[in-house]
Amino acid sequence: MRAWRVLSALFLVVTCQAQTTGKSDPVVGSKNFTESVILGEIATGLARQAGLDVGHRRQLGGTRILWRALENGQIDVYPEYTGTLAQELLQMPEADELALRKALADRGLAMTAPLGFNNTYALGMREQRAQQLGIHSISDLRAHPDLRFGLSNEFMQRADGWPGLSKAYGLPQSANGLDHDLAYRGLAEAALDVTDLYQTDAEIPYYQLAVLDDDLGYFPSYQAVYLYRQDLRDRAPEWVAALDGMASRIDATTMQRLNARVKLDHETEAAVAADWLGIDAPETSGRVSRIWKRTCEHLVLVGISLGLALLVALPLGVFAARRRRLGQIILTITGLLQTLPSLAVFVFMIPLLGIGAKPAIAALFLYSLLPIVRNTHAGLTGIPRELRETAAAIGLPSSTRLWRIELPLALRTILAGIKTAAVINVGTATLGALIGAGGYGQPILAGIRLDDVGLILEGAIPAAVLALLVQGLFEIIERLLTPRGLRLAARQ
Amino acid sequence: MFSLSAVSKHYTTTVALDRLDLEIERARTTALIGPSGAGKSSVLRMLIGLEWPDVGEVRFDDEPLRRECLLEQRRRIGYVIQEGGLFPHLSAADNIGLLARTLDWSRKAIGERTRQLAELCHLPIDALARYPSELSGGQRQRVGLIRALMLDPPVLLLDEPLGALDPIVRSELQAQMRELFASLKKTVVLVTHDVAEAAYLADTLVLLRAGRLVQQGAARELLDSPVDPFVREFMTAQRSLADVA
Repeated sequence: MRAWRVLSALFLVVTCQAQTTGKSDPVVGSKNFTESVILGEIATGLARQAGLDVGHRRQLGGTRILWRALENGQIDVYPEYTGTLAQELLQMPEADELALRKALADRGLAMTAPLGFNNTYALGMREQRAQQLGIHSISDLRAHPDLRFGLSNEFMQRADGWPGLSKAYGLPQSANGLDHDLAYRGLAEAALDVTDLYQTDAEIPYYQLAVLDDDLGYFPSYQAVYLYRQDLRDRAPEWVAALDGMASRIDATTMQRLNARVKLDHETEAAVAADWLGIDAPETSGRVSRIWKRTCEHLVLVGISLGLALLVALPLGVFAARRRRLGQIILTITGLLQTLPSLAVFVFMIPLLGIGAKPAIAALFLYSLLPIVRNTHAGLTGIPRELRETAAAIGLPSSTRLWRIELPLALRTILAGIKTAAVINVGTATLGALIGAGGYGQPILAGIRLDDVGLILEGAIPAAVLALLVQGLFEIIERLLTPRGLRLAARQ
Repeated sequence: MFSLSAVSKHYTTTVALDRLDLEIERARTTALIGPSGAGKSSVLRMLIGLEWPDVGEVRFDDEPLRRECLLEQRRRIGYVIQEGGLFPHLSAADNIGLLARTLDWSRKAIGERTRQLAELCHLPIDALARYPSELSGGQRQRVGLIRALMLDPPVLLLDEPLGALDPIVRSELQAQMRELFASLKKTVVLVTHDVAEAAYLADTLVLLRAGRLVQQGAARELLDSPVDPFVREFMTAQRSLADVA
């Protein structure tokens, strides 16, 4: 009983801190890479110029999540590439711009005119070396069979990557696969001659690389555009006009420079975007208040999901222990839930719960079930038979048996399960950042994206500390709840 | 008090009881004896509904034992197993008062009854506050007995109640239990391995073999007029100190 009181108190504290965000303000989304975040900040800045209050769900976990969120109206605008739109999202690879606009309109969506740069795959080499050999286009590579190609693993494997490219151009060289970041270093140290890159990579000017002309037009066009919901035209006409006004304003060099300021000079995306738009940068909060805010967000995710999991998993575990055969089915299902990849669960949840904390809590809830159900089941079935039988034989009603005998005897095992679930939950909740739930995952994602260890630690250290605290808390609860008779018995 | 008619019970590979007919008299002490696997414990467990016959019927107080009214029937039966079967997370007093409390007895009534029974069963009052792991084997057994007697049931079932005790404590408890059974006038059914103990405590012995009744009667009867050679063999198999010293 005391356990419930402690837990419900914890639950209350956590829910009190849950911030509610206004539903009416339009929201910008961006993907989990720097360029998309910058474009998201630019869209946000344009809104501020138009006198609108908008939110920015930054670095969401992938194209699918943003697309779903846009369709469902959890976000109103996000930057996308026409190639991705045609091939991945609408699945009409041959479509021209008009056809794409029509397909979007059918879904209540629209897109702006291209922003001015084409962020497709390209091949690049050091400028100096290219000039030396007189190479300007990909076709020119044919004349130099000795050139060493080092290509990113993904590009090596994609059918429209190296296999298709070498065939289309009849390139005689063979290529090695390696990590994208290592490829830049390889080029700089002249260990490689040619690598694949994105046209707006910040590293292009930094390493003084030449982007080779795709003279056969092999790579599909990846024009940057903003996708937005059609109803935004009524809700924020000035903003839509401003977004449309971005047509052809950002060329590849400009985008490279903006990327470089964030990735290489470590400025914030918001500051870079505001500076480029010529407006004041929004105020940034200090590290302490940032960590505090994320702590609240993280606690909300962990507290609510774990609390709900307790409410469901404990009765399920008890039920599974009492009905052996159905119990096996319950254990199998909760086990299966554990194997679902979190990103897949998030995508699945969007139509039901949107983006933000709710789908993350739902996923964390599902992941917390197994340890609790399994340990409750194991704790109850592990009670010595003679004790269970005696409890029945002396005429105790079933509910007294459960509350006064079986649960106290299984308590340690059950609490161990809850502890496991809680610690895993704290760690897994960092993935919530992929779906806009905030928490400690936010700085970790940004840190990975920007290769900034300090930022990663800003999320990882508090997450580790929180995991330890949660573990400590449950150890105290265990100490308080374990009856003295069991502690004595354990000592003997 | 109890009657089994044509009761059979099979486990996956073995037969525990084989068309057993058995009458257990009211207000007498009956000991179930027999070699291992004879079905003694199965009979006892059936009397309290921990096991159910595959075929046949068990009657308690002239009513068939039924799952629907098991709880009520069990409360008219006290049940004690080896080591008392105490719950390790509850103190002796809580073990004793557990059922009475779920039946909404007042704290005072529980305390009074507990003290009264502790005296009757020779359990020191200060032992009531201790946990099972803090009690001696004999004390645990006494607590188990007190718990079984709490509601003053007409029936006591004891499954190897003295099995885990050293000889001195065992002998002392045997004497006290005999006294207790005589004063309480309850229907007592006990299972034991020890023929001498059975003869000492019980009015009637029930000798089982391979799930069937071999002979039922007073110890003297089984010794003097055994129905077959096995009865004599079993009754005299135990080596006494006089034989070997």
